[in-house]
Amino acid sequence: MSASKFTRRDFLKLARTGILTVSGLLGLGGLIRFLGYQSQPPALTEFNLGLASDYSPGSQTLLQQVPAMLIRSEKGFTAISLVCTHLGCTVETKPDGFTCPCHGSRFDPQGKVMRGPASKPLAPLRMEITPDGKLKLYTE
Amino acid sequence: MRPNFFHHLHPPTIPERQARFRYTLAAGGLALFLMLVLGITGILEMFFYIPTPEQAGSSIQTLTFLVPFGGLVRNLHFWSAQFLVIVTVIHLLRVVLTGAYTPPRRLNYLLGLGLLVLVILLDFTGYVLRWDEGIHWALVTGTNLVRSIPWIGNSFYNILVGGTQPGPATLIRFYGWHVYGLAILAAILLIWHIFRVRRDGGIALPLPAERSDTRRITRFELVRREVFTMLLAGTGLLLLSTFVPAPLAAPISADSTISGTAHAPWFFLWVQEMLKLGNPFLWGVLTQLVLLVLIGLVPYLFPYPISSELGRWFPRGNRLVQILILAIIVLILILTALSLLPLSQ
Amino acid sequence: MMRRFLLLVGSILLLVSLLIAAWQETRKVRPVALTPALTGKVEYCLSCHADLAEISKSHPVKTFGCVVCHGGEPLALDATLAHSTMRGGKNPSDFTVVQTSCGGADCHSGSPDSSRNHIQRATTSIQDTYAGAIALIRYTYGAQPSLTALFGIVAVEDNMNTSGITSLKAFTSTNESNPQLKLFGENCLVCHLSAQPVQTGGRYDHFTGCSACHTPTQSTNLVSVDTSKATQVHTLTTTISYTQCDTCHNRGNYDLRSMVFQPRTDQPLDRLHDYYQPISQFTKCEYTLDCIDCHTRSEAMGDGSLYGSKFDIQYVRCKTCHGTTTDLPQTLTLEEPNDLAFRLALLNPVVVLKPGDTILVTEKGEPLWNTRLLVDGTYQMVGKATRQVFTFKPVIGSGCQQDPSDQSSAACHKCHSVQR
Repeated sequence: MSASKFTRRDFLKLARTGILTVSGLLGLGGLIRFLGYQSQPPALTEFNLGLASDYSPGSQTLLQQVPAMLIRSEKGFTAISLVCTHLGCTVETKPDGFTCPCHGSRFDPQGKVMRGPASKPLAPLRMEITPDGKLKLYTE
Repeated sequence: MRPNFFHHLHPPTIPERQARFRYTLAAGGLALFLMLVLGITGILEMFFYIPTPEQAGSSIQTLTFLVPFGGLVRNLHFWSAQFLVIVTVIHLLRVVLTGAYTPPRRLNYLLGLGLLVLVILLDFTGYVLRWDEGIHWALVTGTNLVRSIPWIGNSFYNILVGGTQPGPATLIRFYGWHVYGLAILAAILLIWHIFRVRRDGGIALPLPAERSDTRRITRFELVRREVFTMLLAGTGLLLLSTFVPAPLAAPISADSTISGTAHAPWFFLWVQEMLKLGNPFLWGVLTQLVLLVLIGLVPYLFPYPISSELGRWFPRGNRLVQILILAIIVLILILTALSLLPLSQ
Repeated sequence: MMRRFLLLVGSILLLVSLLIAAWQETRKVRPVALTPALTGKVEYCLSCHADLAEISKSHPVKTFGCVVCHGGEPLALDATLAHSTMRGGKNPSDFTVVQTSCGGADCHSGSPDSSRNHIQRATTSIQDTYAGAIALIRYTYGAQPSLTALFGIVAVEDNMNTSGITSLKAFTSTNESNPQLKLFGENCLVCHLSAQPVQTGGRYDHFTGCSACHTPTQSTNLVSVDTSKATQVHTLTTTISYTQCDTCHNRGNYDLRSMVFQPRTDQPLDRLHDYYQPISQFTKCEYTLDCIDCHTRSEAMGDGSLYGSKFDIQYVRCKTCHGTTTDLPQTLTLEEPNDLAFRLALLNPVVVLKPGDTILVTEKGEPLWNTRLLVDGTYQMVGKATRQVFTFKPVIGSGCQQDPSDQSSAACHKCHSVQR
């Protein structure tokens, strides 16, 4: 028996397998592009909150659609995201802060983690006041 | 070499004459291949299709025009479906014209006939899912044909349509039938059908003692031939689907009007032509049922070839049946051609 | 061995067909999405039509998109399918579909202010119903006992019910027994806002519906645009030149006895000869100004009521601007910031109007917003289409020989008509 010679049969087999593999990869690539199409528009990242003067100093307003808590103090506006930093549930507002109904994470009124499993604090959200006094909130 | 799963699905060897393309036309195998393509492309379409009257049309347009390769997937699904109907009929013709339905294959013949009916119903339900102006009147007339059946017609209609007229309930039911109900029935019949092929001794041939050609091919060779056929068929399907799009019209809306003539789907054109004769139940349901029963009774009523005649086309033993089946096919083709002529008057 | 070689061939064929499919995918039209602010629903018309000019400053595509006016399939990139549900073909303002395309309380119909219901006004206007001409001809040929209008081009109802005519039936030449009336329908009733023009590709070419006037198919240089190429006329304007009016008006004359329309045969080379047909009498301002400089909104588009004669709605006279030997023309000093005059001037900014300006108004109070009373007691008018500035004096204090009780244009033409 001769030492392993690369015969014509082996070459054809290799070529055939190679071409089928390339075809398979092409098909896979097309499939990934196919499945990656997004038909839904991405979620809103900018929210109009109306006139800044509508929110009195010392008020806390729950913004359900963001979701966020809008706080106006004497110093100005802050907004805390109510998206739990663990896995994304909307946290519930409690007298002593925020509690997540999904896995029990607890946050203080400023959003700091008091008890896990969440490890990151609730995110502060950027805001701006337009020249004509309208308040805008950004989640990104 | 060591046989893998696919090799093991086949007998270790089969007579060479069973595997000849000139004998079987590879029709059964092609039908199976097309069903596989339909299953895969169908699942991919399910990622985007929305089965409500308001969103069916726009979801199909999204798939066709906006999703990468979405149009290709849809076209593959459409062309595989139409060729499946044709290939299934060719397979039926081959079986009849080679007398391959003789005992012990009579049950399998009936299973195959059931598969033909399911394939046509799958094509029709899939067609309706477009919910566009092209299918509108086919849906109305088709469901009304069901209603025309005496005694059970109305109950049958309610089950099919889910209401007093085609609407959202109809669409979701047709979707359920198409994606699951009919498909699962077809899958069961298919597995049984293929099992029976092996149990009945493979593709019809004379008994071993009666054969002159004793050559055999291995399961490896058989699989190779099947893969080659699939590669060719796949190439043809891809090229066709790349360049010839599946039809799509504007979605059904309240203020839609028919312009010109409304055509049935191509595989029902012969029925549409017959319906011009008058009574819907007689010409649209009863005649077709009688025809189906007649074809089903072929192995039981008519003389069939003796075992030594099997394995070739047009054996002498079932001449009457050959003439009968060819006459039926020719009649259906003539009716189809007539229906495409412009409506007289 | 043969078999294995074939498998390689099959694989190559499959690979080639996959590559062809992928290449064909790159050749598809690149989708260009537009989500109009008004509808919030994405549309892809711009994938093919991105080079189309904005239709007007009042209808920016970023706000309206295309589908809200034109209909069509917003997601389709195949031309046949995309255009299959378009309203009115190329012209969504055709009166058979105008209510869906241009209607709505925020748009051009259904507003509590009836002057803003342009669709209701235009579809009941005598320019569209032709009720007067139809009544006159039918009366002349004995098909009706009086001149009261009974028929219009299309059947129409009047919800305002201020004119005494509550509805008109559709005139059809087949329902008329008198052969002259049949001829009338076939030969003469082809010039109305719902009719396709008889000749195409020339100076009488225009669209139907609102676009008959508001989409300029004729330029002021006696050059017309090929309306078969809709992209060249994707425009809505209030700057309507006389050439657009002349796609129906001043084209020739009817012969009442033979019921045949005789088109004018002259070949004019300038505005003086082009504007009116050869038999007309007109003054200098009647041909240097455009029709819309004098004829008001309610004259051209109606006031929402059905009328049986054009004389019930046409009322502007020379005296409207020039006054009579005994009266100055009526004026209005603009104070209200919401005055209609400011809105009209904004839509066609040939003048800058400010509160405190004094403009001329018609006898019905319609503002002639392109006019102005100057400090020295003379008046100024700026042509709405030509932007030419004209100054003129009132009749009072001039050498005019008029009979104050005869204010018809023929009376003024006696002295002031121009020789062609």
